[in-house]
Amino acid sequence: MLIGIDVGGTTTDAVLVEGGKVFRSACVPTEHNNLLGCLLSALDKLTDGVPPQKIERVVLSTTLITNMIAEDKIDPVALVLIPGPGANTKDYNLGQDVFILDGATDYSGREIQKLDEPQVRASAQDLAKKGFKKIAIVGKFGQRNHAHELKTGEIVAKAVPNAQVELGHRVSGQLNFPRRAATTMLTAATKDKYQEFADQINAALKKREISAPVFILKADGGTLPLDKSVNMPVETIFSGPAASIMGVMALMPSSQTSVVVDIGGTTTDLALILSGKPLLSSKGARVNSLLTHVRAFAVKSVAIGGDSAVNVADDCINIGPHREGPALCLGGPGPTPTDALRLLGLSNIGDADLAEKAMYEVAEKLDCASKEAALRIVDAVVEKIVYHVNEMFHEWEQEPAYRVWEIMKKETLQAQNVVGVGGAAQPLVPLIAQKLGAKAVIPEYAPVANAIGAALARPTLTLNLRIDTQRGEYIIAEEGFAGRLNGKNVDLEQAEKMARQLMEERANKMGIGEYAKESEVTYSEIFNMVRGWSTVGRLLDIRMEIPAGIIPGWGRC
Amino acid sequence: MAAKDANDQTSKTGLIFFPAFDWAISPTHPEREERLLYTRDQIFEEGLMDLPEIEEYKPRLATLKDISRVHFCVPNVEAQVTEAHMIAAGSVLTLADAKEEGAIRNGFALVRPPGHHSMMVVHGNRGFCNVNNMAIMVEYLRTKYGHKKIAIVDTDVHHGDGTQDIFWHDPDVLFISFHQNGRTLYPGSGFPNEMGGPQALGRTLNIPLPPGTTDEGIHYVLDNFILPVLEEFRPDLVLNSAGQDNHYTDPLANMRFSANGYARLNEKLAPDICVLEGGYAIETALPYVNTAIIQAMAGLDYSHVREPDYVPGMFVQSVEMKKEIEATIEQLQEIWDNRDRLVEDALAEHGQFFRRRKRIFYDTDMINESQEETVRLCDSCHGYTTIASQAQRGYGILNSAFCISLPRNACSSCREDAREEFEEHKEDGKFNYIYLQDKQKDIYHSYETRTRNHRSY
Repeated sequence: MLIGIDVGGTTTDAVLVEGGKVFRSACVPTEHNNLLGCLLSALDKLTDGVPPQKIERVVLSTTLITNMIAEDKIDPVALVLIPGPGANTKDYNLGQDVFILDGATDYSGREIQKLDEPQVRASAQDLAKKGFKKIAIVGKFGQRNHAHELKTGEIVAKAVPNAQVELGHRVSGQLNFPRRAATTMLTAATKDKYQEFADQINAALKKREISAPVFILKADGGTLPLDKSVNMPVETIFSGPAASIMGVMALMPSSQTSVVVDIGGTTTDLALILSGKPLLSSKGARVNSLLTHVRAFAVKSVAIGGDSAVNVADDCINIGPHREGPALCLGGPGPTPTDALRLLGLSNIGDADLAEKAMYEVAEKLDCASKEAALRIVDAVVEKIVYHVNEMFHEWEQEPAYRVWEIMKKETLQAQNVVGVGGAAQPLVPLIAQKLGAKAVIPEYAPVANAIGAALARPTLTLNLRIDTQRGEYIIAEEGFAGRLNGKNVDLEQAEKMARQLMEERANKMGIGEYAKESEVTYSEIFNMVRGWSTVGRLLDIRMEIPAGIIPGWGRC
Repeated sequence: MAAKDANDQTSKTGLIFFPAFDWAISPTHPEREERLLYTRDQIFEEGLMDLPEIEEYKPRLATLKDISRVHFCVPNVEAQVTEAHMIAAGSVLTLADAKEEGAIRNGFALVRPPGHHSMMVVHGNRGFCNVNNMAIMVEYLRTKYGHKKIAIVDTDVHHGDGTQDIFWHDPDVLFISFHQNGRTLYPGSGFPNEMGGPQALGRTLNIPLPPGTTDEGIHYVLDNFILPVLEEFRPDLVLNSAGQDNHYTDPLANMRFSANGYARLNEKLAPDICVLEGGYAIETALPYVNTAIIQAMAGLDYSHVREPDYVPGMFVQSVEMKKEIEATIEQLQEIWDNRDRLVEDALAEHGQFFRRRKRIFYDTDMINESQEETVRLCDSCHGYTTIASQAQRGYGILNSAFCISLPRNACSSCREDAREEFEEHKEDGKFNYIYLQDKQKDIYHSYETRTRNHRSY
């Protein structure tokens, strides 16, 4: 039996899955200040009477880190940067507590300016004096050469007793220094609270004699063992939408192109599954004002939902973005799309007479019949959502590309399905699908699709291998590991073989070794380095990924 | 400077980065896959694309028509361009549209392959260029958006001889090129006496500079000549053919310009659109120069960009060099000041037609071309141009072509005569290919004598 629990903004949904079926589901309201409590009460409801040894796997999706960051309940972090030549770090808006060090590394990982150790020591003293306990150290191109970050980390750790030091190259191996700085800073800020949460979960499960492995869901729709995830707490942000998307993926036939529409009270979340693969955002997620390296599904939030306030101005209907309260038919203050749907008989939520009253209010201003007003409101909602769906496809097609073949393949896809999840989806999805020329689908178990997604998501893992034959070196970005090459001649095939083997080792280390065989090369490039007129070496970059997917145990598709 | 238009509502800088990581002239050629690799690393690591001041665009493909609006490609466009060329040219057009639609304040097409050595007639690759991205944009902007006066400033270290050739007779395009002088560098041209056709004298301005010219020298030229000339010309748009090989580490040239110098140049010049041309110090210059140019265009602080080995004050301009540059500028100022009189005199001197012969060498493809160019000096329009071109490779004749270009403001008499010449050469069998470039109707005809195949875009 598999357990999936998604602690969402308003409710905590949980399912117990067995043999391709939802054996039981549970739903409890989320209490903002007691996420652990909600999670456990959902768990207890779910497992009531189920022998703990029958539970094979538990996956949690939680807003813990998202909330912590959104509410700014994070500890102050000193951000120590080694920027070298380039942009003015002030242009990055990384906050007040930024400390700049001299020293520089270039794009190929060569030291171009030595670290000024006396200056590092002086800065470390300063940090200690100012009372910082959490320190993020990030160098430009630190992922290509870790030396400056390591040395600075060492000096800072010595000078600041009990400091928690995070190094940029351990957090991300990708290019983009300001994103790496932000992600490292957030890692430092959330790590110990997350550890605390993980400990509490472990203790609670132990008390319930559940010994199944526990995983946490990440923003890229993949899971990671809870114990390993404590090093990368930021990756758990935005796991809620990821859970819903993974749920849809599990509930829909594979290889199809679907739009996932999650219509809530005031916002509608849109996501794309392209030929069976959820679309990842081309860049990392934005967390409040900070741009990070966290891989996340591309989710577009549109400010419209069942509770959006309906206003009329100059014969035009304006819907949202704000909410004045629940729908009038549910005792709220003013007309909403929910009232329109009720009047048209597209839903049976709320009181019909109150809905009539709501629509009459709108119709009067528009000088038309109540029914027509309702139709126009629903039309406007559908129109807006369809517009944003088309925009999403357009944006995906317009993602920059840097190679001739990428431009030439000119892929265009059209939605085959519009899949509705969330409260107000049911009546609107057929209308949206009609406009897009697609099939409307409200899957079985749609209300708990998020928990199903959590229960069934398989692990994801990324490994970036960079080989520089001129320097005779290779770097595994995620491990912060640099090694020497045996030979000078490495071709793409050998490099990919090497990456595969390193991926296997990494997967084993992460406790997800059995999924290593699912990994694929998602990016590879090779460049001959020519100096003068002769080739002096090669640069190879390989990215291996275990992409988001559904665990084999589900067995429905 | 550029007349302020209604489009200046946005503060964004548009950027197309198209490094063509899968295209090279040949594996060890300077114009190879690796050229913009370290630039990619630097600008991505700086996170420039994330900044609110910068908007990244995806390139589109230019069409055959876009290219025919400028070039006579022999035998046809498809034979002269690869997909990479169509994307590089398309990138420039994408930014031109974004600029015209008001989505961006200015734009930088950081793309390869480059184009400024490509002339009007194209038999092959010369100076690493097949088609002229800049010229393709200029003609597109004029056709689609009706711009009249455009200024191109070529800041590549090599003389922009292709762009010069294309706009030689056009008084509405001001072409200014500063470069390491032709006595010491490819393509060997670009002297002050090359100043445009009889109707456009003084609208081509060449500023040859001595090898070793520093930031100081180039900024002297900018401050004391280029900027004031632009101020007087009042173009609708200022475009920069932004080569980066004036840099002090460039392996193919000998100048001493720095990344900071390039940034300041773009800040002062404030071009509407920059198009990358050459620049082959792929490790020591390009990552820094490109970062600094992007920052300068976006109004960001570029003062922290510094080449690893750069020490302020490391290059000092000698007194002789200063004198030489000042003398060149003095000579050019005289040309510029007297431009209208020069045109008057020239028109009085020549009759109804102006003829010149040219020999063009395609260094990359080892082709020798000889041209006879004829322009009708018409009172009612800019006059039509014909080019009789013959290309040789080794001892064999490669191709011959007769090319006719009708200007945008063609009068009926020029239209008629041009049409007549087109029909005449279709029949006389003297050339393999006959072309008629009708910029007025935006239609481009080509005719192959052997197959009698007529195509038009």
